Amino acid sequence: MDKIYEQTMLFDFYGELLTEHQRSVYEDAVYRDMSLGEIAEERGISRQGVHDLIKRCDRILQDYESKLHLVERFARAKKTVAEIERLTLSAERPEETGAEAGEEADSIGKRQAQDMRKMQESLQAVRRLSHELLKDL
Amino acid sequence: MAVKIRLRRMGQKKAPFYRIIVADSRSPRDGKFIEEIGTYDPSTDPSTFKINEELAKKWLANGAQPTETVGKLFKAAGIEK
Repeated sequence: MDKIYEQTMLFDFYGELLTEHQRSVYEDAVYRDMSLGEIAEERGISRQGVHDLIKRCDRILQDYESKLHLVERFARAKKTVAEIERLTLSAERPEETGAEAGEEADSIGKRQAQDMRKMQESLQAVRRLSHELLKDL
Repeated sequence: MAVKIRLRRMGQKKAPFYRIIVADSRSPRDGKFIEEIGTYDPSTDPSTFKINEELAKKWLANGAQPTETVGKLFKAAGIEK
């Protein structure tokens, strides 16, 4: 994961737990991409001070994550829901995902049976994923 | 007037993406910017970005200073000064 993305996500989840001052400096760094020098100059503190503050915030936020795993769970849930979405879509339109649709036009019954089977497989997968999702909550 | 090329966070909470903007170095907080030259979406796997190469090169040639993060994106996009 890109560093700025990791910092942004951690901040979105746990930022409220920082002090107002920490929050304000951290926002300048990760939302506005300001350099240490810029932040330091604007606030009249040393560059080293800003550096230490950001490092400390990184550590505090990562510490929350290592105990609560909210970002990790969120990422997992997002991935699972995307997979469920994909499966339901293919269940709705089995003809688009199946092999050569017109291949055996003579046996419509056979095609329908095939579609039905695919749909059932998709539903089973959706159920399995939903179960995983619930267990993770 | 020092001009910087930097990221600016956009998007809802927990769904961030970034604009790559050209802005006056003195106004990082007031929301103003001179020009948007691309976007960067790290939420996709792998992360994706779009950069208007022509504009990026133009601003670099004019002495605009990219931040470290933007510098990395430019490098990944094969944009040199």
